Amino acid sequence: MPAQPLNRICYVEDDEDIQKIVRMSLERIGKMTVDVVSDPMTAIERMISFKPELVMLDWMMPGMDGPTLFRKMRDTPETRDLPVVFITAKASEREQNELRALGAAGTILKPFSPKDLPGQLRAIWEALP
Amino acid sequence: MTPPNYATDPNSGSEKINLSQSADPRRVLADRVEQMYSQMPLGIAGSLIISIIAAYELREGRYVEIVIFWAGLVVLLAAASTGLYWSYRKTATKASEAVQWMRWLAISALANGATWGFAGAVFFPSHADEQQVFLAFLLAGMVAGGVPIYAISWPVYALYAAGIVFPFTYVLGNFGNRLFAEIALLVPAFYAMNVGVAWRLNQVFNAGYRLRHAYGKLTEDYTALNRQLEQQLVELEEARRQVEASGRKLALFAERSPIAVFELDAGGKVLSVNPAAENLFGFTFAEMSGHPGTEFMFPGEFKAEIEARWRQFVDERKPIFGLRYNNTRRDGSEVICEWNLTPLVNPENQVVSVIIQGRDITQQLEAERIKQEFTSTLSHELRTPLTSIIGSLQLINSGVMGDIEKDILELTTIAERNGQRLLDLINDILDVEKIESGKLTLMLEAVELGELVAESLTLNRAYAERFKVRFATAGELSSVSANADRKRTLQVMTNLLSNAAKFSTEGTAVEVTVENTGGETVRISVHDTGPGIPENFRSRIFGRFAQADMSHTRQIGGTGLGLSICKRLVEMMGGRIGFSDRAGGGTTFWFELPKHD
Repeated sequence: MPAQPLNRICYVEDDEDIQKIVRMSLERIGKMTVDVVSDPMTAIERMISFKPELVMLDWMMPGMDGPTLFRKMRDTPETRDLPVVFITAKASEREQNELRALGAAGTILKPFSPKDLPGQLRAIWEALP
Repeated sequence: MTPPNYATDPNSGSEKINLSQSADPRRVLADRVEQMYSQMPLGIAGSLIISIIAAYELREGRYVEIVIFWAGLVVLLAAASTGLYWSYRKTATKASEAVQWMRWLAISALANGATWGFAGAVFFPSHADEQQVFLAFLLAGMVAGGVPIYAISWPVYALYAAGIVFPFTYVLGNFGNRLFAEIALLVPAFYAMNVGVAWRLNQVFNAGYRLRHAYGKLTEDYTALNRQLEQQLVELEEARRQVEASGRKLALFAERSPIAVFELDAGGKVLSVNPAAENLFGFTFAEMSGHPGTEFMFPGEFKAEIEARWRQFVDERKPIFGLRYNNTRRDGSEVICEWNLTPLVNPENQVVSVIIQGRDITQQLEAERIKQEFTSTLSHELRTPLTSIIGSLQLINSGVMGDIEKDILELTTIAERNGQRLLDLINDILDVEKIESGKLTLMLEAVELGELVAESLTLNRAYAERFKVRFATAGELSSVSANADRKRTLQVMTNLLSNAAKFSTEGTAVEVTVENTGGETVRISVHDTGPGIPENFRSRIFGRFAQADMSHTRQIGGTGLGLSICKRLVEMMGGRIGFSDRAGGGTTFWFELPKHD
């Protein structure tokens, strides 16, 4: 379990409406600091500058999908060890298992409950080694 | 009908028929009696004529009155015999009482013989020499003439002849003449010889009658056999017609069937095909006949594999269903076919031929793929906006955005609830689609049921609150584990709990129990306090889009898919689901899962 409570989160998502809801949920209910990235191509740079404690990735995005971005993060030294949570409407159980095998910290299925989202993320955070 | 049973000679070793034993002795006797009665008129007439001649010859002498008396006796006897003869002709008991008729005949014969014996005994001493010679000649003639008449039964003849011979012999012996005394010694010897001849003739007659009857019986049996054979022939012909008709019907089925049908020999060579098979692969029967089926159906690189598989199939002689292969057509295009192989095995357990039915499922698979893609896209495209809608409303309703007016809050709560309903419907439809297409995979593991039930009660507490009921566990939750998919078991529980909450009376408790059934399964039950399941709904409650009363659909909400999904999920986990009435009202829905060892 990490020493400090979860605070800084980077969220990569192309849908603006969902961006806003997640931001409000995490900031207002979870009292966290959130950086939302719309373009997955620039996500890694943003992560390097923002220095999140945990990253949330959407699955389906234009230009680059979540799993590809995840693999790229694994290839980048600054982002290699960041815990990643997928937030998706699509992943089948088999795909989720594959992601977990690759090292994803967890998956949250859309539609999620903004009320419960901070709690879900904290639970994943606290379960980390 | 039993076949005729001839007595056979056990030592002959062959089926040689012993005819004389196969004749019925009663019928032989009846025939002999019949024959003897048929000769009676001749005997009566002969006796009458001879007696008239004798009376005429003997008229001169001392005892004319006795001669007249004797002639009267003969006439009387002839009349009695004629009466007997007529009685026999008219009777219906010729065969059944043949023995009795034979006895009457014997009495008549004895009386006839005795009449002539009387003539010999009385007239011989009283007449002159010439008349004595005439009388002796007459009696000898009567004894001899009786042979053909009575020899069919030698005892009858013996009685008849005894009647003539013995009184006459007695008279001869006591005549006081030496020559006559010597003749008296010879006459019984002649009598014995005649009886011997009669006995022999009797034997011959018997043999003849027996043969006649044996042949009669043979003919009867032969006729019966013939009739039997005829009947069998008719039945065979009928069976043949039926076989032919069903053969024609089957041929028609194959001919008109949209499914490709091949008949291959055990070596895999084409014996026959139907038009659908010709159309599917683009080869005519003439082109395929006698060639290995693999030549026309598979691309070259698979042939060896297919042939090995074929040999294994022929060795095992077991039907195979639902085999999928990529096949090639004449024009080189590829089709995906589903095959059923059925070996036809003879009583010696050899494969005579193999019936192969094939269906082109290329388009069906393509349609399935498109459908799957569509549902997947639909799922994503519907969930994404719903995420925003439900998410926004939840944030508002949770109060984190600040206080809102009561009326507005009421409306946003309605909007959130209905958004959730829409989402439930989408999830249910996707689940049904997954189950139907066989895409739903389960992760079976040991699931501690007490723990799982407690979790499901916590997760669905909001439901209970909304419908103003309580969720409670009755008794201790059993700490038994089931071999189940955790997530799907929770889904089943959520369904049963939400149904129970919806239909229970406000203020009551929905109780959940976990029981060890004592067998291989464990049972989870959800007891509600609702109105019970209407009789006409019981049979289709686990069907899709099932709702007891359509007014409930609007009033209470739900897709009508929940229980059908539960049933499929529970069955996929190797369990079963059901419901029963609760004593005192309400319903218990239960499901059983296999225990984890």
